[in-house]
Amino acid sequence: MSLEFLSAFKFLKKETFLHNLDPRAKLLLAIIYTIEALLFQEILPLLLILISLLPIIIIGKLFKQWLKSVKGMSFLYIFIIILDTLFISEKGFSFAIAMILRISIMISAFSLFFLTVDPNDLALSLITMKIPYEYAFSFSLAFRFVPTVAIETQNIIDAQQSRGYEMQKKGIINQIKNLFPLLVPLIISSIKRAFNVAEALESRSFGNKKGRTYYYTIKFSLKDWIFSLYLILFLTFLIYVRINFMSMPIWFRWSLPL
Amino acid sequence: MTDIKPLPLIMVHNVDYVYSNGTEALKQISLNINQGEFIAIMGQNGAGKTTLIRTFNGLIRPTKGSIFIEGENIESKSIATISKKVGIIFQNPMHQLFSNTLEDEIKFSLKNLNLNKEEIKLKVDQILEEFNLEKYRKRSPLNLSGGESKKLAVASIICRDPDILVFDEPTLGQDAKEIDFFLGLIKNELERGKTVIMVTHNIEFTVEHVPRTILMGGGHIIADGPTQTIFTNEFLVSKSSLIMPQLYLFKQELQKIGIDIPKENLRENELINILENYLGKNFINLKEEKQ
Repeated sequence: MSLEFLSAFKFLKKETFLHNLDPRAKLLLAIIYTIEALLFQEILPLLLILISLLPIIIIGKLFKQWLKSVKGMSFLYIFIIILDTLFISEKGFSFAIAMILRISIMISAFSLFFLTVDPNDLALSLITMKIPYEYAFSFSLAFRFVPTVAIETQNIIDAQQSRGYEMQKKGIINQIKNLFPLLVPLIISSIKRAFNVAEALESRSFGNKKGRTYYYTIKFSLKDWIFSLYLILFLTFLIYVRINFMSMPIWFRWSLPL
Repeated sequence: MTDIKPLPLIMVHNVDYVYSNGTEALKQISLNINQGEFIAIMGQNGAGKTTLIRTFNGLIRPTKGSIFIEGENIESKSIATISKKVGIIFQNPMHQLFSNTLEDEIKFSLKNLNLNKEEIKLKVDQILEEFNLEKYRKRSPLNLSGGESKKLAVASIICRDPDILVFDEPTLGQDAKEIDFFLGLIKNELERGKTVIMVTHNIEFTVEHVPRTILMGGGHIIADGPTQTIFTNEFLVSKSSLIMPQLYLFKQELQKIGIDIPKENLRENELINILENYLGKNFINLKEEKQ
């Protein structure tokens, strides 16, 4: 087992339209697509929303990483299918597929955000939103540690496997129990690292000066406005569809026979 | 009758490994390791040492080439199966300690070995005793000192009694006493016929105690041979970005002032013997001159 899918959330510097957008525009993308995913519970509209993300993914040259992030969640999909099909009496399987699409949209939107936003820019954009520097900085720091935590998780898995730990176990209770050997070391080493980072920051006088200037600045340019406008229009359209859902053509509510 | 040579315990055959980001960590690695050997794998950071040892128990599957343990290809074997023979002890003990007590920590390692309760209890007692951890038995592993938690991590692998022990940086961050304990432990395992492989940056330790060294650099094996031969070869050592051992440098200084020492002698006690002999003779000379 590898945690390769976590690399789908790691920032990689590239020169594309998407990468050059303002981080705030991309945050808007993630939020708007999350709202859109929550608007519907039917397969077709959700599928269309997911498809509408594809051009953005392709513009950002991120198809491979995106595929990885969606694939990486496959264990969750299996859970959803089993639970929904078992416990929802009417069309459980269709509902499960719809929920998988919903989760895929959210994951895709956020993975796009993480893949294209430089953690440094993220802090800057938060500051422009009037969030105090300490918080903005810790937020961006948290992002920067995602790959570190991913590597560490892999090390923990390796170390436990070397003493006979088995990743796959039968039965839900066993599977949950099986998480302890991974989660406990991970949480403890994360807390330890947090303290270490805090101490390292403080020993370099972090937070000493209140008024701070910034070497780089970010600006919401025309293309960001256009992109945001497109997102908002798309959302408005979907809200309209949701409100008038009953008067939409019948195929729009199509579902699988199960 | 023809001589039948025993198969090497570990046979690495033409192994390549490429990480998903395209980094070629191992290039055309071939090597044989026999039963009972004590080997150090050295080289600068990023040379591929850790990647190589991870292939030994299947944590990493080679992109190309194959690895045989006791003559069997491990390609299709699960990590759990290989781990019974190959125990890897990782650098950071904090990556594996999670139980409420030391006892449970050891038990976790033994659980997957199909032992019954009695056997497990016996083994836990024996291992805690051997590692001087008996007094902490009911303590949380998270409250141990750095050295002790490393001991526990080693104990949690050794209790599984693997034929091959692989250490990643065992002497890192250990004080002199802890290193001594660790050395005793390795010698004990070697006496029991085990094979020990360690990845290390500790040149002095290697020169003093490890008979065979594998030098790595840029994913290749630069040299593989007796430690004493490798660490007298300045070209090889500098090629793998290491420095010559203190004893070698000391010997050079001695040679400069005219004390002649055979080329291969690098062990501490051997050097002391030579010096004693030399000084002894001089001492006698001095005595004679005075008289």
